Amino acid sequence: MKAILAATALLAGCALLQPPPKPANAPLGPGEILSARTAESALTTGRSTKADVRAALGEGTVVSFDSGYEVWVYRQPAVEKAPAAELVLLFERSGILSKTRVR
Amino acid sequence: MKLRRTSFFSVTLLVSTVAFAQHDAVVITAVRDPVKKSYKKMVDGAKLFEERRHLAPAASLRFKLIPRKDGTPMDGVALEVAADSLAIPLKVGPDRTFTLERNQVALKENAQVMPNRKAGTMTWRADVRTPGLPPNVRRLGDLRLECEVGMKSDLISRYPAGFFGWLEELFRGNPAYCHRDKNRYLFFADRPIFSVTLVDGSRREVLPVDMLYAGASRDPKWKQDKYCDCEVLFDRTYFVPLGDTTWPDDTLVVLEYM
Repeated sequence: MKAILAATALLAGCALLQPPPKPANAPLGPGEILSARTAESALTTGRSTKADVRAALGEGTVVSFDSGYEVWVYRQPAVEKAPAAELVLLFERSGILSKTRVR
Repeated sequence: MKLRRTSFFSVTLLVSTVAFAQHDAVVITAVRDPVKKSYKKMVDGAKLFEERRHLAPAASLRFKLIPRKDGTPMDGVALEVAADSLAIPLKVGPDRTFTLERNQVALKENAQVMPNRKAGTMTWRADVRTPGLPPNVRRLGDLRLECEVGMKSDLISRYPAGFFGWLEELFRGNPAYCHRDKNRYLFFADRPIFSVTLVDGSRREVLPVDMLYAGASRDPKWKQDKYCDCEVLFDRTYFVPLGDTTWPDDTLVVLEYM
């Protein structure tokens, strides 16, 4: 029982450790972008290459698969009242952008 | 090195009960250090499925074999319930699923469920499916029950120490883990996935990418962890907020493939 109570306390503590929203003028970190929607609109599925995306958005977080596909993730940090968002890009083996989504 | 099983198993097959006769005869080619699971724990999981089937009233339970290592041959897997005095061959479907029947002797002898594949080459999951859904759509209640049965049956293969947190001993083998808000029970899609969306009537929510690919977008080294039971099907894995009760059991989990 003590272990469960201690666990609950720890989990509650973890919730309190979530990063607070950044100030509006805070610098962007690696893989962060100002606006996921704006960034998505600058890209063209079926045409944009990895080099195009890197030039436009910088380095994202890359998850690569044995199939040769890659997922690149860019995060829009929560800023004051604006919630966080993410832009997820899927590259085919050829290196061409094939899908995007914003959450 | 492959070993041919002795005639011992053939003899025990002949004297097995009538319940076994419905299975096709299978000649098992055994291996050293095979993948294996406790028959009793899997039966316990099947019992839990019956107790908790209100989560998925129209679904049935099967167990599924999933490859872990690249190049693991999954066609022609032979599977049996093996104990000191018996060997019950199990029929594995083309989708690599199978069912278990309750057998008192196997329970008494603490039997193992063993395929003819080496440890570390495959992993296991419960497979709970409500009929009538498209291949890319799962039902949240089915997944909740898959998790509960999977935890009860101890199907998860060698998650790293600390994967469940320092509460590991509390959660391993405990279906209550499935009701944690941020549980990390890995599901496998049939194909590589790009996104997962929860749909309950007009409410829709795309899951964050952190809940895909075993959480690799936050921890890229996770894929290289030798203890991950998702190695070869890494691009098909996802977590679901099983413990979030604002999503009812009838919630649809829509998978968008790559």
